Amino acid sequence: MDFIHSGINRRKKHDPARNRTRRSDMMSDDFAVPIQDIHGRRLPSARERGKPKKKLKAFRVGAGIDMPFMILVIVLLVCGIIMMFSASYPIAYYGEGNSYYYLIRQGIFALIGVAIMFVVSYVNYEYLKKLSLPILGLGFLFLFAVFFFPSSTGIHRWIDFGIFNIQASEIMKFAIIVFLAHWGAFQHKRVNTFKYGALPPLIIFVLTAVLLFFEPHYSGIVIIAILTSLMVILYGGKIKWFLIIGALIAAVVVVLAVTGKLGYAMERLDGWGKALEYIDDAMWDQTFQTRNSLYAIGSGGLMGLGLGQSRQKYLYLPEPQNDFVFAIVVEELGLIGALVVLVLFALLIWRGFVIAMRAKDRFGTLLAAGLTAQIGIQVVLNIFVITDWLPNTGISLPFFSYGGSSLIMMLIQMGIILSISRTANMNKV
Amino acid sequence: MMSKGSKSRLMRRCMVIMLFILLIGFGTTAFRLTQLTLFQGQELQQLAVDQQLVDTTINARRGSIYDTNGKILAQSATVWKVVLSPANFENDKERTIVSKGLSEILGIDQESLFEKTKENTFYSVAKRQIESETRDKVLEFIEKIEKDYDITGVVELLEDYKRYYPYNDFASSVIGFTGSDDQGLAGLEYQYNEELSGTPGRLVTAKHGDIEMPFKYEQKVDAVDGNSLVLTIDETIQHIMEKYLKQGNVENKVHNRSVAIMMEVDTGAILGLAVEGGYDLNDPFTIADKTTIAEISKLVGKEKEEAESEALSAQWRNKAVSDTYYPGSVFKIITASMALEENTVNDDSRFTCTGSYTPVQGADSISCHNTLGHGTQTFAQAICNSCNPAFMMIGAGIGKEKFKEYFQAFGYNAPTGVDLPGEATGIFFPNISDLDLAIASFGQGISVTPMQMVTAISAVANGGELLQPYIVKQIVDADGNVVKSADKTVKRQVVSKETCEKLSEILEMNATEGSAKNGYVAGYRVAGKTGTSEKKYDVNGDGQDDYIASFCGFAPADDPKVCMIVYFDAPLGDNYYGSAVAAPVFAQIMGEVMPYLEVSTQYTDEELKEMDTTANSYLGLSVDEAEAQVKADGYTCVVKGDGDTVAAQLPAASTRIPQGGTVVLYTSLDEVTNSEVEVPDFSGLTLAEANMVASYNNLNISVAGVTGTSDGLVLLQSEAAGSTVSAGTVITLTFTTSSNYGNNNVM
Repeated sequence: MDFIHSGINRRKKHDPARNRTRRSDMMSDDFAVPIQDIHGRRLPSARERGKPKKKLKAFRVGAGIDMPFMILVIVLLVCGIIMMFSASYPIAYYGEGNSYYYLIRQGIFALIGVAIMFVVSYVNYEYLKKLSLPILGLGFLFLFAVFFFPSSTGIHRWIDFGIFNIQASEIMKFAIIVFLAHWGAFQHKRVNTFKYGALPPLIIFVLTAVLLFFEPHYSGIVIIAILTSLMVILYGGKIKWFLIIGALIAAVVVVLAVTGKLGYAMERLDGWGKALEYIDDAMWDQTFQTRNSLYAIGSGGLMGLGLGQSRQKYLYLPEPQNDFVFAIVVEELGLIGALVVLVLFALLIWRGFVIAMRAKDRFGTLLAAGLTAQIGIQVVLNIFVITDWLPNTGISLPFFSYGGSSLIMMLIQMGIILSISRTANMNKV
Repeated sequence: MMSKGSKSRLMRRCMVIMLFILLIGFGTTAFRLTQLTLFQGQELQQLAVDQQLVDTTINARRGSIYDTNGKILAQSATVWKVVLSPANFENDKERTIVSKGLSEILGIDQESLFEKTKENTFYSVAKRQIESETRDKVLEFIEKIEKDYDITGVVELLEDYKRYYPYNDFASSVIGFTGSDDQGLAGLEYQYNEELSGTPGRLVTAKHGDIEMPFKYEQKVDAVDGNSLVLTIDETIQHIMEKYLKQGNVENKVHNRSVAIMMEVDTGAILGLAVEGGYDLNDPFTIADKTTIAEISKLVGKEKEEAESEALSAQWRNKAVSDTYYPGSVFKIITASMALEENTVNDDSRFTCTGSYTPVQGADSISCHNTLGHGTQTFAQAICNSCNPAFMMIGAGIGKEKFKEYFQAFGYNAPTGVDLPGEATGIFFPNISDLDLAIASFGQGISVTPMQMVTAISAVANGGELLQPYIVKQIVDADGNVVKSADKTVKRQVVSKETCEKLSEILEMNATEGSAKNGYVAGYRVAGKTGTSEKKYDVNGDGQDDYIASFCGFAPADDPKVCMIVYFDAPLGDNYYGSAVAAPVFAQIMGEVMPYLEVSTQYTDEELKEMDTTANSYLGLSVDEAEAQVKADGYTCVVKGDGDTVAAQLPAASTRIPQGGTVVLYTSLDEVTNSEVEVPDFSGLTLAEANMVASYNNLNISVAGVTGTSDGLVLLQSEAAGSTVSAGTVITLTFTTSSNYGNNNVM
């Protein structure tokens, strides 16, 4: 493992000649710019505030990392585990015979995840540049591999590693962010052309989408589409590409819908937004989870029923520990509690973007922004799902929803953001 | 090298994306959450609560029905209902075990029970109204399935109530009955259902999505038990009325049921309302009438079903308020009161009857029941003779308009407002012609209900006030507090007091001397009028239209207390005249009711000779002493038993005994039962003969009806011939004039 100081050392070794060589290889690394050159301009806010430069000690655990971001991650994680426990204990008791079943497992994963997060925060994220293609390959491998694992009711989404399962699309989301961050940074002079800017992400997206379509995992397609778009916008893509591609996708969807190939999705879409309306028995059964989610949210009111006082978790709301955990949060803590959680997420996203903007290189900026945006997208889409504004298609709430692998994935990503912040801060010394 | 421009553009894009996520994304999310929690919150919470809570109804105990003296006529007793929670079944094996076991205990079809266990609900009634014995078996079963098969929470026992009527068919038309859901279906049970049923309570408990919640949530709203009714009906009077009405019904082979209504003339309170052809209130869905059952059993299929339901609705129908009839001559009281009130008759008025009369030029003549004619009569004589031609003349004197006005004023055009369901109203001619008026004057062609009739005659009896009859005196809540009290309701003054007094005098004369003398009760001044009206159909197919025999009268005439109508619909026996069929029953009932009501007797001189006295007490005296005293008191003495002291006596002390009657002394109580005698047949005997037969059998007689004349003959007896009674028992004999006996021609 290569730690931060070695990274700094390496960076100091950069010279124009090497840069040139790289450029001649059609590779551009704008992050290899000496800090002194752009220091004041890159971070005008720090200068305006007149903050003294931090004296950081590399050997301290917290050294260099963005403390507000880290604290927000820990606070959200603790809140998430408490609420997941509250939501899950009836189902844990009746399903597993132990009220603490989900708490213990999630707790262990959280501890492992936090440890990994700190380790990752010390790793130079720039290694990811080299790893971006292998990770993308791994993502596709996983997306293929799911088809060889047993399905649950005809749906292939998970890869079973024995002690834990991993959702293939989780890897793919990460892979796409890393790859496009690298691509955007590496090719930053050319990404405003369709060939360099639009084609690669489009190819990756289409391949991913096709694989996800057959899993099927439509919400995964939606999230990956949004993430890809955001990455492309971030590295400077053109709006007209989206209009063209959007039109193409719309055409494909229409064709699929007309030919009736969108079975599962259409079924889900049918009941969308009508969870409280009785249309027919099948629909009523299908919207059961969303309806009970609405009951839970409505029951919360302004102040909520009190922590642990949810009634909907008593086997009304199916799997309250998973995607719908936030419905129980609202039921127990009310609108006030829900808004507090939202504010925490907002602060985290704000802080994540601050880190992105302070990153020492373009790759760091794009990577931090992409990873942060992913949290925001998941939060918003998750709440849209539980409030019946989006079809119920399996979008988990970061830090809150039960699931060891996705929690660890999330914390690894947080570790990467922390690494970016640490590198930026170290460079300020 | 990264240019400054591209760097700042990247920063700007980051900012835009961040703001987009935070403002648009989080903004809409916060908006959506606010919308659901604050604006749709209550609605959603209600839906959530509806699914989370089980609402069980706690039945309220239905109020009781008491007679005027507090005797229980209807009461609810605790039973249980077996309730299933089908949603708690886990598989068909459990369903089979439970449905099989329960079907054996409850005696219901296993298949239908199995279907019930499949319902998706927590509340499905398997059987209602099971008694404690069955309940114990169900409890055992619940324990057993829990122990043996670990099946819990699927069968439950809940308290329920069942209606009991201690007197069975007593006052069935008045009381009515309830259905399986404890709802009133007929009579007062129906009329006062809301008062009686009370307010059911609720038991709200927390339910779980699939299995029990770890906490208990329970909220109970107690049921408010129903209010009880205290009736104006007096159980004793009602029993007397039912007993004699039934007798009359059997003796006269009445085809179409019969009615007797007794009303307190000053208040409108109904003291008794008997409809013969009653049914067992504890078993209202069984046809009570044996002839009807026999007739129906001959039918098959749909016809049979229809006949059955028709018979049931006829059985439940309260003839006293729901059926109308031609009142016949009883209505002459009303016609007479109109004439007196309007001064169209006076003491000098004379009415000549030649046996028939042609009221309208050119129409057929209408004959009087006395085809020889009543000759020239005064107004009073016309009433006593019940002379139809005379009344056609009186009616013509009143005029069509006035006649109609009075018909309405007496309340015949509207329901009386009595608190019984299904009340009908009288029918008058839409456009009354002169001929209509003529026949209406003697009570034909106009229809009224018996209740309307007794209410109108009560108005004549009480000095002209038309009252609203009522049957519920008080409504009492479960704690015994009076919630509502009924009171006398005067609708209007119909005729003047003078008219009433004058008419009462004539009617008393009529009951003593005239056509109504069979309704006379010795010692009580009865005023009344018989009625025999033709019906427009023929039930027995003898080619003759059927008749309705009725008697309506009040007593005592100088200060009326009660008014009663007795009415037999289609008597098919030897007699069909009101004087022969209805009047004796009236007399029998009045003869027993008047003493019960403690109306003081006013005997005529002649009556005094045959007057009943009250027996003294001889209890505790030695047999010799007692014997001497009995003889000294003017009675014949018979001693039963070998003992030395008198342990019992008949007639009992303070009860009626005719002068010169027999006192039977018993030396032990066993003797009372040992010395039962068979009641002889008194019918057709004169008073003297009856007395002889009675004393020979160690029985006493009390007289009712026409006595004091040498030609009185026994028509009815209070204890049937051939039945056994204790020696010394007083038997009431009703006498009739010998001319009426067997062949009665008074209309």
